[in-house]
Amino acid sequence: MSKPKISTDWLGACAGCHMSLLDIDERIIEIAELADIRATPITDLKEPDADGVDVGLLSGAVNLSTHHEVSERMRARARILVAFGDCAVFGGVIAQRNLCGTLAALRRAYLEAESNDETAQIPVHPDLGLPEDVKALHEIVPVDLHLPGCPPHPDIIYYALKELAQGRIPQIEGDKLHWD
Amino acid sequence: MPHLTIDGLPIEVPSGTTVLRAAEMHGIAIPKLCDFEHLKPYGGCRLCVVAVEGARTLQTSCTLPVSEGMVVHTDTPQVHEARRMVLAMLFSERNHFCMYCQVSGADCDLQNAALDEDMTHWPMQPAWNAYPVDASHPYFVLDNNRCILCRRCVRACSDLVGNHTLGIQARGAEALLVADAGALLGESSCIRCGTCVQVCPTGALMERFSTYRGLLPQTEGVRSICVGCSVGCGVILRTRDNHLLRIESDWEAPVNRGLLCEDGRFKPLHQQQGERLRAPLVRRGGRQHTAAWEEALRLLAEKLSAAGERLAALISTRQPTESLAAFTHLFRDTLHARVVTSIEEGYATHPALEAALASGQRASLDDLRQADCIFVLGADLYHNHQVAGFLVRRSLPHAAQLILCGAPDTPLSAQAALDLPAGEEDADTLRRLSAENGSPALRQAARMLTAARRAVFVIGRGFAARGSAESIQALLEAAKRFDARLLPLYGKANSRAAVNYRLQAPFKPQGALAACLFLGDDQPHPRLLARLESVPFVVVQASHASELTARADVVLPATTWMEQSGHYINLEGRLQKAQAALQPPPGILSVQETLQRLASLLPAG
Repeated sequence: MSKPKISTDWLGACAGCHMSLLDIDERIIEIAELADIRATPITDLKEPDADGVDVGLLSGAVNLSTHHEVSERMRARARILVAFGDCAVFGGVIAQRNLCGTLAALRRAYLEAESNDETAQIPVHPDLGLPEDVKALHEIVPVDLHLPGCPPHPDIIYYALKELAQGRIPQIEGDKLHWD
Repeated sequence: MPHLTIDGLPIEVPSGTTVLRAAEMHGIAIPKLCDFEHLKPYGGCRLCVVAVEGARTLQTSCTLPVSEGMVVHTDTPQVHEARRMVLAMLFSERNHFCMYCQVSGADCDLQNAALDEDMTHWPMQPAWNAYPVDASHPYFVLDNNRCILCRRCVRACSDLVGNHTLGIQARGAEALLVADAGALLGESSCIRCGTCVQVCPTGALMERFSTYRGLLPQTEGVRSICVGCSVGCGVILRTRDNHLLRIESDWEAPVNRGLLCEDGRFKPLHQQQGERLRAPLVRRGGRQHTAAWEEALRLLAEKLSAAGERLAALISTRQPTESLAAFTHLFRDTLHARVVTSIEEGYATHPALEAALASGQRASLDDLRQADCIFVLGADLYHNHQVAGFLVRRSLPHAAQLILCGAPDTPLSAQAALDLPAGEEDADTLRRLSAENGSPALRQAARMLTAARRAVFVIGRGFAARGSAESIQALLEAAKRFDARLLPLYGKANSRAAVNYRLQAPFKPQGALAACLFLGDDQPHPRLLARLESVPFVVVQASHASELTARADVVLPATTWMEQSGHYINLEGRLQKAQAALQPPPGILSVQETLQRLASLLPAG
C-alpha cells in the first residue's frame, strides 16, 4: 500500500501556521516516512495532485476572490480537508477588518497610514484577485477537521499529522485545544 | 431536606437550594456564565441547563430549586448539544478573538466553557458588529466587544454595592453595558470600587494595572487585611515574582464578604509616594549619611538612654497590634517616656461611649447588614468607611430606611429617607429625638426608629471622639429608647487596638530631648513637622522618604503593610490576621523588629 498523500496551502495567512508546522523540527522526518508530503507553499510542487490527496491542510482565511479557487480545488482533491489555524477556522486576525469594512481597512493601511507618502496606492494586480470580506474556510467549502490556534502548537500539529498520516482522525480535545 | 439524584448520585441538600448549587456542593461541575456564587440567581446565559426527568424541556439549574425525588442529568448528549449551542451563539455575537485578550489561557470563563465542550470552531460566524470601548475610567477599561451581557457587573453594582451605576441599554444585538444613562465610565456616578471588574467572567472589564501581567495560575494570592480604614476588609494580595499585581476582595472574609472600595482595591496600586528608603540614615555634620542598622540603632539607644523621661514617641495606627504592643512596652513601660501616643492622638471614641459599647451595645457589621433602620450621626459613609456604606446603601430603599443627621451632602443624601440638618446642638437634637418632639422631620425620624425592629446608629468620628459628655449621654439614651445598636467609626486599620493600648494622648513633644516616630507606610501629616521644630533629636521610621524623614536625625527604613504579617482589630472589635505577601527589599525591618532590636540594646529595666 502506498503512503497517504498530504498537501497543504495557504489563503489569507501570515505564514505563522506553516512556521509552526516547521517547528515540529526533526519530527517532520517521521511524518515524511509515514506519508508522502506533496504540494505545499514550502515545497516545489504548488498544487495538490490532480488525482487527489488523502489529506489537505489549508491555513489562512478566505479574503480574496482567488482564495475561492484555491479552497475549492483543495476540497475537490483532498479526501480529508483540515482548517489549519485560527484564520482558516473562523477568520482569525485578518477577520478583524470585517469590523470596519474591507475598503476602510485597505484605505487605512495603504493610503492613510502615517508612513505613506503621496505616491501611495492600494495595490492592484491580476494575481492578487479582488479583496472581499473575510470568511472562515467552512463558509466556503465543507471542512472535515478544525485545528485551531494562532498558531496551533507544533506538538499538536505533529500529533494531528501523525494521526492523519496513519489514516486516523485526530481527536482535537482537552489539552490539545490549548495553544498558548 | 429534599432528596434528589444528580447524575446517579443520591444527595440531600437544604430546601431552597438550587440544582446548580446542590451539584457544586457534591463535586459535580455544571458550566455557568451569568451565575456567580455571591450574586442572586439570574438565569440569563442558559449555559447551566440540565435535563430533569419529567420536565418537558431542559431547565436552567441556576434558578431551579431542588424538590423531593428530583432526578437530574448534567451529562447527556442533549445537554451538551444545548451548551454548545449557547456557546456558539455567544461567540457569534461579538468579538471573542482570544488571541488578543488578556484573560485568554486560563482566566476566561467563556473560553474555559468552550474548551470543556471540546469546541474546535464556531459553528456560527460572527455578525461583525463593532461595539464601543470605554477607556475613560482611571482604573479599568470596558470593551463592550467582549461583553456577553451576563449582567454580573450590573448586579454586583446594584445588589452588592448599592451604587446602581451600571446598566444595560437597548435590547438584543444592540444591548450595551453603560454607566448611568450612557455616560462615559470615567465621568459617571461610578465610585471606583472595582467589584464589577472582579466579577466579570470574560475580558470585557480589564483592570489597567494588572492586565497582561499574568494569568491566575502564574500568580500567588495571599490573604491579608486592608489597612485603608477601620472596617478591616479581607483582601487577597495577588502577586507575581514579588510584584503586586492587584488587590482582590476576599469573598470568604467575614467582614466584607467580597466587598472592597477604591481605597482598598486601587489606591494602594496608584498612590504617589516619595522614594523608597532602603538603608538607615544618620545625620552627621548637618547631612544625612547612609549607616548600618547596628550603628543607627546604637546611636538611637544612646540618645534614648540620655534623654531619660524627656522622650516623645508616636506610632501609626496602620501598624499591626504586635508593633503597637512592642512600642507601648518599650516607651511606656521600659523608658517611661512622657508622651506615648498614636498618630491619631486619641481621635477615637469618647471614654463614656467606649464604656457603654463594652457592655454590649456595639453593633457588628452583620447588624448593619440586617438593620431595617439606620441612623447616621455625623458620618460620611459615601467617602469614608465605604464598605460599611455599601452595606447600608444596598439595603435601600426596600430592606432598610436611612436617616442622616448632620452628615455632609453626598449622593447618599438623595437615598436617605430623612436628611436632618446639622448645626443644632447634638445633645439637644438627640434628646428631642428620644422625646419625639422638635421639628416635623425629627418627629418623623423618631417614628421610623420606633417602628424599626433592628435599628443601628452609625456614629461619625467627630461625634464619637469630640462629642461632649452630655451629648454622648443623650446618644446612649436615644439608643436605649429605640433599642438601637451603636456602630462608632474609627480612623485607621488598628485604631481600636491603639485604644486598647491607651495610645490616646495628644502629641506634644515640646521640651522632649528626643522624639521617635514609627510611621511605617503611613503618610505623615504636615502638622507633625511643625511640632518637631524644637526637638533636638528626631528619629523617623518610614517606608518612603518625606519631608519628615528629611528633617530627621536618624531615619530607619520600614516595611509596608504588604511586607509584614500581623494582627489588626477592626471597628467591630474583630481580631484579624494579615499575611505578608511581598518580600521587603533587603536590609529593611518592620517596626516590630526594629523595636525588638532597639530594646535589646537598651539597659534592662
